[in-house]
Order: sequence, then structure tokens, then C-alpha cells
Amino acid sequence: MEGVWIDLAKFGVSLVSILALAWLARWLDLGGDERIRSADQARFLANAAIEGFEPVDIALDKAGIGALLRDAQGRQMLLRRHGAAWVARLLDERTEARLDRGFLTIGTGEKTFGAVTLHLGEAAGVWAAGLRRLPTAGAKRA
Amino acid sequence: MPKLPNPVDFAVPVFILLIVIEMAWARRKAPQKYEPRDTLVSLAFGLGSTVAGLLFGGAIYGLMLWLWEHRLATVPWTWWAWVLCFVLDDLLYYLFHRSAHRVRWFWASHVNHHSSQHYNLSTALRQTWTGWLALSFLFKLPLAFAGFHPAMILFCGGVNLIYQFWIHTEAIKRFPRWFEAVMNTPSHHRVHHATNPRYLDSNYAGVFIVWDRMFGTFVPEVDEEPIRYGIVRQLGTFNLLYAVFHEWIGIAKDVWHAPWQHKLSYLWRPPGWTHDGSRDTSDTIRARWQARQMAEPAE
Ligand SMILES: [Zn+2]
Ligand SMILES: [Zn+2]
Repeated sequence: MEGVWIDLAKFGVSLVSILALAWLARWLDLGGDERIRSADQARFLANAAIEGFEPVDIALDKAGIGALLRDAQGRQMLLRRHGAAWVARLLDERTEARLDRGFLTIGTGEKTFGAVTLHLGEAAGVWAAGLRRLPTAGAKRA
Repeated sequence: MPKLPNPVDFAVPVFILLIVIEMAWARRKAPQKYEPRDTLVSLAFGLGSTVAGLLFGGAIYGLMLWLWEHRLATVPWTWWAWVLCFVLDDLLYYLFHRSAHRVRWFWASHVNHHSSQHYNLSTALRQTWTGWLALSFLFKLPLAFAGFHPAMILFCGGVNLIYQFWIHTEAIKRFPRWFEAVMNTPSHHRVHHATNPRYLDSNYAGVFIVWDRMFGTFVPEVDEEPIRYGIVRQLGTFNLLYAVFHEWIGIAKDVWHAPWQHKLSYLWRPPGWTHDGSRDTSDTIRARWQARQMAEPAE
């Protein structure tokens, strides 16, 4: 029985320690505010996310928090911020898009990934239309 | 034989201190090396893994003791046995680790350690909760059966784990040649955590990098190419429970939907394998990258 109390005490101390460390990371202002500043950077990030993805068409969010990209095979990629890093998904038929003037809200159909609203300006309408013809999930890519 | 403490218990305060020091370094040099939410997830992984250890460790130790009682030979409790035990345990760690990257059932647990897009000391504590389910303890059994006392094996395993803590950093570039030749180092282990095609499935070492050099899985760090950390399909969430179980969920879904003759393959084939080739494995990614290198040698 004594062993259980020791384990519980260790757990409690550890829990307090990890919360303190996470708080410290925030207090030290770690993380940073990453933005996509150029089409070249978006291209680099897209290729980093999916090896061989060469965009031929890129729409950048006005604030640089994400981008939509299309490659020569017609594959479409959503790129967005994730903390101090970047994360991307190829879009498939589960994609939900909502257009509100220059703003395009895109959900990938993956709950934990969440939806992202990109400020694309005039390009938003064209991209929204493009999102209506997407391949089925798991279909063999060329 | 004396009762041995868990060496990791004593190391934890040092871990915390070193993380604080590295955070201070990051604040001055590169704040984006840490992401507070990612840090919290990684540390929660560490805490949860100790709970899993408490829940399942007893049964695993019991199994090791049972095998030791039926041992092939008796290894004495002397200094050379400790050295031998440590080296052999590290070799078994290499085998465990390599299979953890090449067999999806094992990867489902080990992916936890890799799913951060950051590489700092907090990443080291990102330890799995489901190692028992992935049968990781199998790799601890041969030494017990050979005749090493389970207490000795687990102590060596603990020291091995402690060693691996400090190599999870970008604050240290490289050590002298002789050290990099023999030991696992921050440079070698950065490569292991990288998703750059040239680095996939390499540097499985625990303490001694010589195993990778011996078995052909060693890849040196290239200074010109910035490293990208994490997994091929990044999580895209800081949801702890999703991070813990996503690959197990993925396996369950795949097995459910797969045609009968392919169901088992989704358990034991490499991560990313599909019966219709619709996803990438590390091999297909590397092949595509190599083809592109050939086509445009300038890059
Ligand atoms: Zn690994
Ligand atoms: Zn690691």
C-alpha cells in the first residue's frame, strides 16, 4: 500500500513539473510567429510536406498563415501553420469548403486537423470552384 | 543480489534542469525550436509512459524472472557481466528500434516518440504509452533467458534511456571524430528524427552508433540541408489522446476495410504500406526523391 502512495506522490510532483515547464516555455515567449512570405517559401514547404509535390499554381493567405497549392497532376494541397511549424494535407472528396467573399474556409474532413480560413482575396472564388472536383480518399495517385 | 533502484528516477531532476537551460538557449538563439503546446504534449507523453510502466512493468518483470529461472547459464553479478549486459542490451535495443520503424504494429507505439515537429530535450521524454501492446518487452527476454538477472537488464535499460535523453538537442553541433564514430550523438539522432528522404529509416542506435555502421543503416548528417522533424504525415493537432492512439486507430480502420487476403499485411508490413499502393512508405518516398535528384542534379 505504501508503494502506491509513493507512486501517487511521484506522479503529482511530475505533473506539477511538466505544467511548470510548459508554462515556462510560454513565459519565455518560445514558439514564434511563422508566416509564409513568398510563393517560393510555399513551394519549399509543400515539397517538404510531400516529397515531389511541385506546385504550378499557388494562392497565399494575405497574412501568410497558410496557402492552397495545385500541382501539374491536379492534386490540391492545403498548407497551414501548426504552432511554430507547418502541416499540409492533400485534399480529397471529404473536403468542405465555404466561400465568403475573399475568404475561403476549408475543412479536410479530418476532425483533429480542423478547418482553416484563408484570406485569398480575388483568387478565393476560383479556388473554391476548383475544390468541387477532388479525387476520392485513398485513390491511387499517379 | 542487492535491490536496484530505477536509475531514471534519479535522472528526472537533471532532465528538468537541462530542459530549462535549453529553453533559455532557445530564447536567445531560436525561439521557434520550442513550441509550448508541443512541449506540454511531449512531457505528458513522458508522464503517461511512467504510468504505463507501473501498470505493466510488474507483469513484464515477472515474465523475465520466470525465464531467468529457466535460464541457459548463470551470468555472475560481476563488473564484466555488467559491461556485457549493457552492450548486449544496446544491441537488442537496436533490433527493437529497427523493427519499430519497419513493422507497423510496432510503429503504432513508437510513432509517439517521433510525432513532434520539434527536436529538443522535451522530445526525448515523448515516450510511448502502448509499448506493452506493441510487445516491445520481447526484446528484453533473450538476455534473461541467457542468464543475465532481470534486475541487471532493467538497470542497464534505464541507463540506456538516460543516455538517450541528452542527444535530443540542436544546441550541440558535433563532437570530436572518435566520439561521433562510436557513440550515438545529437548529430546522429537528429538524422534519425528527420523526415528528409535521405534520412528516412536510419540511425537506430541507442548508445553505440557502431550497430548502424555494422548493419548498414548509418547515415551522416549533411550540414547543407536543413532537417525537418516529425513523421511523414504530420499530426496537425496538439490533441494528446489523438497523438497517443492515432496509428492504432489507423490500423484498426485499415484492417476493417481491407480485403480479407490483405488484412494481416496491414499489421506487419512497413508503415504506409497499402494493398493498392495509395500511400507512401519510406521506400517509395526515397525512390521518388532519388529519381528527382537524377533528373535535376543541380539541386
Ligand atoms: Zn525511432
Ligand atoms: Zn529520439
